[in-house]
Amino acid sequence: MSLLERESSLESLNAWLAQIATGPVAGTGCVVLVAGEAGIGKTALLQQFTHQQHLAKRVLWGGCEALFTPHPLAPLYDMARQAGGEFTQHISTAETREHVFNATMDHLSRGPMPTILVFEDVHWADEATLDLIKYLGRRLTRLGVMLIATYRDDEVGVRHPLHAVIGDLPSATVHRLQPAPLSAAAVATLAEAAGRSAARLHEITGGNPFFVTEALAVPETPESAVPATVRDAVIARLARLSEPARAVVNVVALVPGKTERWLLDKTVPKAGAALQECLSVGMVALPDGALAFRHELARRAVEEHLPIPQRQDLHARILRSLLRQIGTDVPTTRLVHHADQAGDSEAVLRYAPLAAERAAALSAHREAAAHYETAFRHAASWADACRADLLESLSYEYYLIEHVPEAIEAREAALKLWRAAGDRLKIGDSLRWLSRLSWFNGVKDAAERYATDAIETLEQLAPGRELAYAYSNRAQLHMLTNEPGPTLHWGRKAIDLATALNDTEILSHAYNNVGTAKATAMDLKGYDDLEHSLKLALDAGLQEHAGRAYTNLATTAIRLHDFDCAIRYLNDGIAYCENHELVAWIRYMTAARSVVFLAQGHWDRAADEAQAVITNPCVAPISKIQALMVLGLVRARRGDPDSDAPLNEAMDLAVPTGEMQRIGPIVAARAEVAWFKGAINDMADEIRAAYDQAQKQSDPWMQGELAFWRWRCDGALERVGCIADPFAHQIAGNWAEAASLWESIGAPYEMALALADSSNEADLRKALKIFEELGAAPMAGILRRKLRAGGIRGITRGAQERTRQNPHGLTARELGVLEELTQGRRNADIARRLFVSEKTVDHHVSSILAKLGVRSRGEAAAAAHRLGLAEIAEGPRVARK
Amino acid sequence: MPRYVVEREFSAGLIVPINDEGAKACCNVVDANLTDGVTWVHSYVTLDKNKSYCVYDGPNPEAIRRAAGKTNLPVNKISEVRVLDPYFYQ
Repeated sequence: MSLLERESSLESLNAWLAQIATGPVAGTGCVVLVAGEAGIGKTALLQQFTHQQHLAKRVLWGGCEALFTPHPLAPLYDMARQAGGEFTQHISTAETREHVFNATMDHLSRGPMPTILVFEDVHWADEATLDLIKYLGRRLTRLGVMLIATYRDDEVGVRHPLHAVIGDLPSATVHRLQPAPLSAAAVATLAEAAGRSAARLHEITGGNPFFVTEALAVPETPESAVPATVRDAVIARLARLSEPARAVVNVVALVPGKTERWLLDKTVPKAGAALQECLSVGMVALPDGALAFRHELARRAVEEHLPIPQRQDLHARILRSLLRQIGTDVPTTRLVHHADQAGDSEAVLRYAPLAAERAAALSAHREAAAHYETAFRHAASWADACRADLLESLSYEYYLIEHVPEAIEAREAALKLWRAAGDRLKIGDSLRWLSRLSWFNGVKDAAERYATDAIETLEQLAPGRELAYAYSNRAQLHMLTNEPGPTLHWGRKAIDLATALNDTEILSHAYNNVGTAKATAMDLKGYDDLEHSLKLALDAGLQEHAGRAYTNLATTAIRLHDFDCAIRYLNDGIAYCENHELVAWIRYMTAARSVVFLAQGHWDRAADEAQAVITNPCVAPISKIQALMVLGLVRARRGDPDSDAPLNEAMDLAVPTGEMQRIGPIVAARAEVAWFKGAINDMADEIRAAYDQAQKQSDPWMQGELAFWRWRCDGALERVGCIADPFAHQIAGNWAEAASLWESIGAPYEMALALADSSNEADLRKALKIFEELGAAPMAGILRRKLRAGGIRGITRGAQERTRQNPHGLTARELGVLEELTQGRRNADIARRLFVSEKTVDHHVSSILAKLGVRSRGEAAAAAHRLGLAEIAEGPRVARK
Repeated sequence: MPRYVVEREFSAGLIVPINDEGAKACCNVVDANLTDGVTWVHSYVTLDKNKSYCVYDGPNPEAIRRAAGKTNLPVNKISEVRVLDPYFYQ
């Protein structure tokens, strides 16, 4: 029978499949999302499509079931069974989600092409299945697979995890179908075919095909009206069943998905005799002999119709049958479901923790948490220590799925039980966890209090990994608030203890904190620590730690304006996180990469990557802030419209974080845009406030950028802290120095901005050329006007004074380096003392040698003494503490 | 969807002959714009053919630039615009 009003959907499906099989880039797969309310005919549409198409060599179906806690990867197991061969064995013996995914990719890439995969009802999917869809969806180019997923869009709220999956699929390969309700004419056709009146049928059913069919299947009596709901229609249909048939229907209604024949026979004596009768009321027998309702809506209607005591009794019988089935692989999830529904605590406590562990191994953390919740509900009679263990497992799973308040609650409950039991090790460890969770929850004070309590408690015991973690946790808190001293203090303690214990995980964690703090405070040895943290994590396969190490290495390099290095870490880090599906970090690092592209003058790529991050529905604020900044600046620098909106949104997101590393760059970006418009004075208060904040921290680049805008705004700067060289030079009027430093950093726009402060025509022309190449229309316009007017701006006072005293034209920074040279220091030492990279020192040294006309460092030192330059260097200076 | 006026400068002049060749050139631009969700509404060209003012619908300025990159058209300035209808006030 052909479906009514589904021609255009079928046409689209066939066209997309043809693209895969014979299109210009054959083998490039696609994702099809089929959305619609229950009963709208998603499955019927796909059955028709897969039945009539000729291009796909095979079609594998997998359904998600409405279990209270879904079985991880249930649809994949269905598909593996249909695919045959060793695939099932490969995935069921795999120890981690990664192995399962790799085995699946491997299988698909070797199978026939095209293959159609149908994931049904993914609004019920477990977390691992959603990850699988995302994983496959992002790798379709190589597979020649048409991946179809159906879901009920009316049951998927805005926070449903399915949105995250859809948002992460590459949009170019995603198609959408939304089967519409049947028209009044189609409903009338169906009614006519059933020999029935169509009066009010369309109105009541809303054209829902399943409802229409069920309503038409209810035997007509003189007084019967059209049933008001699907449920009424289903129940009315079953009203006349015989006793044995009703027994079968009731059991099948309590087994989500389908009921295997052996399960039915073990639970309902003489079920076979009643089967035919059941099939006549809309149940179906599957090819493997299992029995199911034609639609989940019908199953639910019967289930809800059963009185609760009878339901419990039936669940207990089903559980007994499942347990008696030796040899078949009954998933523990099913045992937990029926045990829980039957109120059988002993069985729940036996199977739920097992099911949770398996789910966690497959990274289905939502399901793992649900199993632990179920277990805890039944654990009232357990000993305190056992219940506390359960709560800790539950808290950890909550933490992994970012249900932080719930994680805190569970951890606090566990702490209470440990206190009652007097277990000090567990008390200390729980306190450390509460510190971490409180920070995630944005409650800094609580995080610090718990951190201190944890250390105090654990230091009274023999030192172990709990204490090492407590130290490292405290180091991390100080690192995040940019306090290098305490970070190093507690980090060192963590490293010493973790080294003694030979604990790789804590070592990786601690080196990360210490390295990030050092590097941000311009101690370049921090890189070594971060590299070490990364290596430990990679070698031990600690994915979260590796992702964090890549991220901190890259963001540190960006903060130090070491862009080549940043790009290297970002490319490696993004590739690593793609392989391990660490999506939050992919987005964070993609946003960070757009920052680098902007600085390097690759504005198209910067805007593309920023746009991709911003449009993702699940993007975290800390990633979005950077991407919005990039988009706003690209537009402003090009003179394109709508640069304010992204920057305002970025500011709104940055302020609540309270972290200067997020707020500072946005203030600078807004200042730049205001400056273009000649309205920088409107920003004066904001710039001054941010500058004052930045001065409290040891980040010379952040201070430099804000000092620079403060200088642009106020025209003068009475007091300058420790700021990065290029900014110091430009503020001091040494635009040539600033430009050459920006050139060596690889930041063309900033270089041209520095040159634009010159009054020399050649410099201005050079700047104009750079602006034109970048497509920086507003700055190019400003320069053209300046050139045409022939206007010459005076050089600032500071530069004149210094030049008078210092006939070789050494800049303040060069004088500083020269002073270090006269002390016989090596470049590496100078770099550390002056808070710059070795490369920059190299650059200064060559410039000094050239200006003094000498060939070696020794000669330079001698010249310094001869010319009295060392004394000048003692004088007031810009770029030193 | 926002509307933009895109200013383009053609130092060698913009020549679109009224024949198959010209039609094809325009079609190519329209087709290439599709992938970026950009629609070319119409253009005004100065009599010396050195400058055009092109009216475009598109999701954002970056999409206009991406499309221009694919069709090798210069972009000198993008302005977001709204309609002002003088007869609306009567």
